[in-house]
This record gives sequence, C-alpha cells and structure tokens, in this order.
Amino acid sequence: MDSVQSNPGRTKRILMMSMAALLILTVTLYLALPVLALFFRTTPGLFLSSLADPEVIAALALSIITSVISLAIVILVGTPFAYVHCRYRYPGRMIVDTLVDLPLVLPPAVAGLALLVLYGRTGLAGHYFSLLGISFAFTTLAVIMAQIFVASPFYLRQAKSLFDQLDPSYEQVGRTLGASPVRIFLGVVLPMTASGLVSGAVMTFGRALGEFGATIMFAGNFPGITQTMPLAVYVNMAGNFNAGLTISILLVLISFAIMIAVRLLAIREVPHA
Amino acid sequence: MTTNQKTDRTQSILTGIVFGVLCVSVMFAGCTSRASEQPGKPTPSPSSIGTETTVIAFTAASLRGATPKLAEGFEQMYPGRHVIFNLDGTQALMTQVQNGARADVFISASVGYTNELRNGGYFADDSIKSLASNYVVVILPANNPAAIGSLADLAKPGVKIARADKSVPVGTATCVVLANLANSTFGQDWNLSAYRNTRTLETSEPAVAVKVALGEVDAGFAYESTATAAPDGTYLVIPIPEKDNYLQTYTIGVMKESLNKGAASDFETFMLSTTGRQILEDYGFRPAWDHTPLGSSPGTTPLKTA
Repeated sequence: MDSVQSNPGRTKRILMMSMAALLILTVTLYLALPVLALFFRTTPGLFLSSLADPEVIAALALSIITSVISLAIVILVGTPFAYVHCRYRYPGRMIVDTLVDLPLVLPPAVAGLALLVLYGRTGLAGHYFSLLGISFAFTTLAVIMAQIFVASPFYLRQAKSLFDQLDPSYEQVGRTLGASPVRIFLGVVLPMTASGLVSGAVMTFGRALGEFGATIMFAGNFPGITQTMPLAVYVNMAGNFNAGLTISILLVLISFAIMIAVRLLAIREVPHA
Repeated sequence: MTTNQKTDRTQSILTGIVFGVLCVSVMFAGCTSRASEQPGKPTPSPSSIGTETTVIAFTAASLRGATPKLAEGFEQMYPGRHVIFNLDGTQALMTQVQNGARADVFISASVGYTNELRNGGYFADDSIKSLASNYVVVILPANNPAAIGSLADLAKPGVKIARADKSVPVGTATCVVLANLANSTFGQDWNLSAYRNTRTLETSEPAVAVKVALGEVDAGFAYESTATAAPDGTYLVIPIPEKDNYLQTYTIGVMKESLNKGAASDFETFMLSTTGRQILEDYGFRPAWDHTPLGSSPGTTPLKTA
C-alpha cells in the first residue's frame, strides 16, 4: 500500500526540495558573492602593503574614533530619552515617535544636505554659531554629527521597544519599596534590558561606521580630519584602487564581527523574553 | 499534530515554490532581454542605419553648466538625435568605463586620463580630439568672509580653502599651480600654510565651486569657466598668472565599444563645430590649442598657451 503511493509523492517532494534548495542558493549567492569578490580581487601581499598606507591607517583610526564617540553619545542621551518617552504620556508623543524614526528612511545624501543647510556657516543655525566663532562643517565634529543623525534611530527603536515590552510590575515593586525613579531605572530596568540594548548599540555602531552620504556632503573629505573609511573607498576608486579594496575588506570584516555579536547577544537575550 | 499542521506546511511549501518560480522567471527574463541586446553589437553601422539615436556622453563634471545648451545645439544640428550626459569627475568616469560602463563618447578634463584610457584600448581609432582648455582660478564667495585680497592671503591663518582631490583633474592642476606659485613668488611656507588651510578635498570641480557659492569656505580652486559662466555676483575671482597656471586640456573621443558609433561621431562633429565651440566659449572655456589627435605626451606636464 505504501509503495504504491510513494512514487508520485516522492517525485513531488524531490521537486519541492530542489526548488527550495535553488531558492535558498540564489538568494544566498546574490547577497554573498559581491562581498566574496572583494577578497578575490586582491592578494594577501597587496592587502598588507596597503594596510600600511598612512591614508588607510588615518581613515581606519578616524572611523573607529568617531563611531565610538557617536555611539557613546547615542547611548548616554538615547537610553534615558527612550525610557522617558515610553513611561510618560505627553502631547505630540506620536509625532516624536515618527520623527525619531525618520532618519532610517531618509536618503543619507538628503541628511547631509539637511545638516549643511542647518549647521553650515550660512545655514539656519550655523549662521549664529559662526558669529560666535563656532563652525561645524568640514570638522571631525561634523562627521560625528552626521553619524549620530543617521545611526541613532537603530538604538532608539530597540530601546523603545525593550522598555515598552518590559513588564511595569517590576518597576511598581521597586516604587512600593521606596526607590527613586533613577534608582529603579539603573537598578531594575537597565539590567533587565541590557543585552537587548547592547545589540541595538552594535547596530548603531555599524551604521555609524558605514556612514557615507551625509558625511561627504556635510563634513567634506580631508584625510585624517573628515575622511572616514567609506569616503576613502570612494575617493581612492580612481587613484588607488587597492587601498579602496583594502578598506572595503576591513569594513566587511568589521561588519561581519558586528553581525556575529548581534547573533550571540540575541541568543543570550532569550531567557528574559 | 495532524491535518491542520500538514496543510499549513504544504501551504508554506507551495508559497515557497511560487516564489521560487517567480525568482527563476525573473532571472530568465533578465537573460533574454540582455540576449536581445546582443545582436546590435557586431554591426559597425554607419550613422544613418543605427536605430539608436541617443548618445551617452561621459562628460567631465566641469562642463555641467554648458550641457543643456550643448544638448539643444546637437538636436538642432542633427534632428532626431539626442544626447544624455553622465557627469562626474573624470577619474570617476574613467573607473566606470574600465569596469564595463557603456559609453558612446568620453569627454575628459585631463590628457593624462585620456591617455590612460587610450592605452587601455577604450577609444575608437583616431577619434580623440582636443576640445577645449581651461585655466585654474581662485574663487571667493561674493561677500568675501575672510577678506582675501590676493593670492598671498590664502596662507593667512583661519582661511578655509576647498580644492579637489589630486585624483580629480582640477585637483592635479591645483597642485601644480600651487607649486608653481610657491616657486616663482610666495615660497614653500606659503604653500604649506595654504595646504593647512584646506578643509576639504572634493571629488569633482563643481563640488568645490558649490562649497564656495554656499559660503561654506572662504576660497576654492576651480576652473576659469566656472567663474566666467556663473551669474554676476556669485563669486569674486582672483586670477592666477599665466606663467604659473596650468592649462587643462579637454579631449573628446568615441568609445571603441560604442554600439552607436554613427550618432557618437555625429556628436563629436557637433562638439568640434563652430556652434559647439561657441557654446563652450560662452560658458567660459578657452579653445583647445589645436585639433590634431594627441601624441603620447604625458598629461601631467603643465601646458602653456602656444
């Protein structure tokens, strides 16, 4: 009985399996092959020699430093912001919620132009700053401002959803025991959401590290001052293709490390859920 | 654990298959449309036969201002023909071509890059012609925020300068000009201070000009044509003496891989015609020093007006 039915059933299953395999293979290759091709275009020798290129080192150092500073600011300001935003009902809360997410869908070039027309020397606010002798455009500070603008929503979204999901009874218990809101936040809320917050922070760091469009428009391009790794890739495409490849590979490796970090944190997050 | 779950699973498998079929059909659709493009390639058709009437012109970004007039003039001289300009720094355009971008005509702002492409076999034989030339000038925002009165002031502390990266033709020219000025007049300390005052190395000539026009920097190294063509009151201009300047030569050439050589050489003919040259002149470009095909002279040596 079984053998009679199994033949058409099996061919069908084999067909489905092969279709599924083809689908998985197509998607994976489409996304992974371009990245792999970067590695095939260079040799270990060329990679190491351009790794010693002062411009590559300067771009790497600048990228890491600015991204770390951006991340620190986002965490220090963003965490309390997200908490306050989630725990209090205030007028215009929905608008704030939307505006905070806006940079996620905004093209980075638009972000760069927006920052320039606000903070540039002749810009809406920059005009007044320049009277005080303060300028933002073409400084390392501009790089950090651009990174915070485009990357902070990744952290803020994650923090908001974590605080929203956290059972308020934990905080109520704290309050009945007489703890201050700050103490509850630091002693109860943060430890319970820490791993989720870290994975949001890692995504923000990755986005800040990869920031290109807003930076080149608002901060310009100068080695050691505003030329981050993505800008160095673009500028070197014509003159120094190998340096561009080396920096790209470094960025791939860092991105890969970031993804692994997020994965590991996501696994550890499960017990809290 | 039974019929419900089973139907769920078959349903999901079915949707998987539908998506798979969609993906595969999209891939095939991509293949066939590309294949249908192929037959056009081997026919080196004369200008009249080609069904393609649109010329893709990879064009040095500094020609941006003149492109609408050039397109208009070309369409008047060759009714039915059109041109699409792909504008970017010549270095970026060259990289695009070297990596397989399809262009019919290449207008370069640097003899060096023209020669690099020619040596790579990218140009149709004998199609490279000198098109125009351009000097470097210093442009300042109209309100001159740093009160710059002369080239010497570029070394004043706190002056913000924009220039192009050395890979950009105008950036190469800027480096030569600064070195010449330092040697002839101002000295090496001046050159060093001017470099220290540089805030940004832009990736095209218009990107430098816009930073000046916006008043974000106090001075910029751009082309004479940009200053000439801009509406009155956009910039203040400090000319650079001819003996220290760098005459950048623009070339035009038809690409060997062009599927559209007839229309492409029509466009080249137009650009070199009196009408085409007049438009370039109106936008501040100088005539090319001659119209003979370029020799193998390297483009990095400063050129003087003959």
